[in-house]
Amino acid sequence: MYDIVIIGSGPAGYVAAIRAGQMGLKTAIVERDKIGGMCLNWGCIPSKSMIESVKLYQRILKDSARFGIDGIQTGELSFNWDNAIKRADTIVKRLTGGVEFLLKKNGVDIIKGEAKVTSANSVLVENRLLETKNIIIATGSTSVPLENTFKNLVVEPKELFKQRNIPDNIVVTGNTPVSIELAQLFRMMEKGVTLVTSADHIMPKADDYIRQYMESRLKKDKIEIIYNAPLVSENVVWKDGVLEISGKSIKCDLIINSSARKGNLIKSDIEIEVNEGFYRVDQDCETSVKGVFAVGDVNGISQFAHIGSAQGLHVVNLLKGIKQKLDIHKLPMNMYSFPEAAQIGLTEQEAKSEGYDYKVSEFPLSANGKAMSEGQSDGFLRLISDKKLGEVLGVQIVAPNATDMINEASAYIQLESTVYDIAQTVHTHPTVSEIFMEAGFEAVDKAIHK
Amino acid sequence: MRYIFKFPDIGEGLDEGTIVEWHVEKGSTVKMGDPLCTMETDKVVTAIPSPKDGVIAAKFGKTGEVIHVGDALVEIEIEGVSGEAAVEEANKVEAVNEEGAGVVGTLEVAGNSVVLSASREGVKETETVKPEKKALATPVARALAKELGVDIDKVKGSGPAGRVTKEDVTSFAVAPPEKNEKFRSDNNDTVEIEQLSQIRKSIARHMTQSKHNAAHMTLFEEVEISELERIRTRYKETLQKEGVKLTYLSFIVKAVALALKKHRSLNAEMDLEGGKMIYKKYYNIGIATDTEKGLVVPVIRNADRLSVREIASEIAALSEKARSGQLTMEDMKGGTFTITSYGNIGGLFAAPVINYPEAGILGVGRISKQPVVKGEELAIGLVLPLSLSVDHRIADGGDTARFMNTIMAYLADPVTLLFN
Repeated sequence: MYDIVIIGSGPAGYVAAIRAGQMGLKTAIVERDKIGGMCLNWGCIPSKSMIESVKLYQRILKDSARFGIDGIQTGELSFNWDNAIKRADTIVKRLTGGVEFLLKKNGVDIIKGEAKVTSANSVLVENRLLETKNIIIATGSTSVPLENTFKNLVVEPKELFKQRNIPDNIVVTGNTPVSIELAQLFRMMEKGVTLVTSADHIMPKADDYIRQYMESRLKKDKIEIIYNAPLVSENVVWKDGVLEISGKSIKCDLIINSSARKGNLIKSDIEIEVNEGFYRVDQDCETSVKGVFAVGDVNGISQFAHIGSAQGLHVVNLLKGIKQKLDIHKLPMNMYSFPEAAQIGLTEQEAKSEGYDYKVSEFPLSANGKAMSEGQSDGFLRLISDKKLGEVLGVQIVAPNATDMINEASAYIQLESTVYDIAQTVHTHPTVSEIFMEAGFEAVDKAIHK
Repeated sequence: MRYIFKFPDIGEGLDEGTIVEWHVEKGSTVKMGDPLCTMETDKVVTAIPSPKDGVIAAKFGKTGEVIHVGDALVEIEIEGVSGEAAVEEANKVEAVNEEGAGVVGTLEVAGNSVVLSASREGVKETETVKPEKKALATPVARALAKELGVDIDKVKGSGPAGRVTKEDVTSFAVAPPEKNEKFRSDNNDTVEIEQLSQIRKSIARHMTQSKHNAAHMTLFEEVEISELERIRTRYKETLQKEGVKLTYLSFIVKAVALALKKHRSLNAEMDLEGGKMIYKKYYNIGIATDTEKGLVVPVIRNADRLSVREIASEIAALSEKARSGQLTMEDMKGGTFTITSYGNIGGLFAAPVINYPEAGILGVGRISKQPVVKGEELAIGLVLPLSLSVDHRIADGGDTARFMNTIMAYLADPVTLLFN
């Protein structure tokens, strides 16, 4: 009898499994494909490796002479997609190997195969019946397929880095961080890129300010965004490399389907409640069946790997009797755009609608010495704080390494810090992170370097 | 010169008092000995006299406020010195311990850092309790607690490692835990809630201390006192004319004092920590006295050396002082044994609580006419019920019974009180 059987070994599942193992719970993890799931194998990690490759390519192309490097014939430079993918694959292999090692090291049984929930206390994996006290479903999500009309043009994100030839004109669907990252990735490879979304905005849940910034950034990158344009046959016609959509003609040889996703629901003999394609869960990620939990993409709360991991840890702690509150506002959002964007806590719009008497303190990257030295001074930090107590309510960052910098803000929010704490935290010089201190000063009184 | 007068340690280990009434205002001219305010302490309600002549420059504390020993009470402008010198003098006063300010004789005035006197009586239990650990709390929780006037150390934290979060403070402020308050005053007219007076707090602490430390044992007896009654009746009126009320209690006090001389273990105190027994060679009998504000115990000093008549006047004087709230600390200090007389109110026997750290307490019940056997005859006797509680750590059963027998012998034949 297991204490926990975890179905799915992506970042939500494997992190929970290692933690459960560390806490002495008898744990099994079931995986039908590759250990590490979408994130490690086909998502976050390979895409970040590829984004880094194209950024470097662009850097050499645009900045080498300005930075004092002679001898680079920019006209002869080209991007080698295959070699970049090889590098990404090496990283993926090393990481997934590491996860498998950690699972074993912590006494987690790894069971390969397709799982089926047979009762609240049993999981069938092919012919093997696993009896368990609790079940955690962490099976992730899949893109909702596009209509058959475009079948030959469409590539699913999971298949993207298996592609050998990348044509010149690409349409990326969707409005999420993943869509924007992919759009910029191909744009930096000097492909023609159009972003097509059925929504009327990009970056759901982001602060309006960051959204507007990114819209203008994409425009500058010459990535066209077509809003309110669902990719369905009555709306769209494709002929000879041209997509007719919403009255516009776009060159298109390939469509990357990164729009809607649906939960990977699993076979079950018991009824587990579902809401719009995802398992319905309570604040502790428990499904309608007691003792059966759903964490990560499959519960539809978020598609960020770190949020899935946080949910997985939360459930394991809960089963061990450690009850904490999983506050969605304390979980950061990040986007590997160029420059990167990240935010945590309340957006300005949320602070307003929740009735806070708030203050916005902004500090631009253009006034930061380190950012200037690096030649990447496009961006800002915005600090939203409560006027009365000085509480840090939210932070938004656009900077070359905003996805790393946001973790400082997460600590401030986790520790319920005030703007005084930020202002009094001495930051090393010269660093881009100094903009935190500056925004802190600005919030308390006035920034030094502004 | 400015003189800062601090609330003096008026003895018996008292460390706080409540201001009942101010007798001066800012600007009032006072002479040494003039009452500044009336203060209720654990034991007495007493006027605090001015230690100097001068003008009141500042008053600290409002009526009803609790003032601790060493806290500034008033600032007095003393004539003759003024201007810059005043500040210096005032500072000097702060630095130097004021000499006895003269509430009752010479008194030590405790500075803020001075440890209170070691008298164990009436020492608050909280003084030995270590200061509470500073709460682990987030900066916002602290800011919010300050804003809402919440004592953050009292809030239970729900965060990692028990850290107090903003939410904890908010919920505490909305509904503080009720464990310390049996009754909520709002929307509840079935109870009436009053703040404890200093005297009531002192009684509570003292009773708990006694029951906690002493091993109580109570012996009940009855003594036939027709003879005592005969003598009392005979001299009562004569003494009444001289203003002395000859009560049964006067005889009992004398009998007890003499009995204590014969049975030293009942006039003793145990120092368990020091491994010592302290036998006292003075016989000060405390008389538990019922007043409106609560029970007080004024003391008749050297009762063994006083005549029954002297004891009677002393009891009358002390009772009057107790009733009018005029008792001073001096009146209540230094008892070695206590008598509690409840018979005139009601009750035959009781198991009285020892006035710790004394060794015993005698309870005097209601005197009644009862059939008694005298010789071979059945007669009407006057019977006095006695209840003697002792600290069984100090006095054994034999000592106790023998002590009781001695008291009974004196009371049964009161003329013997003259022979000692």
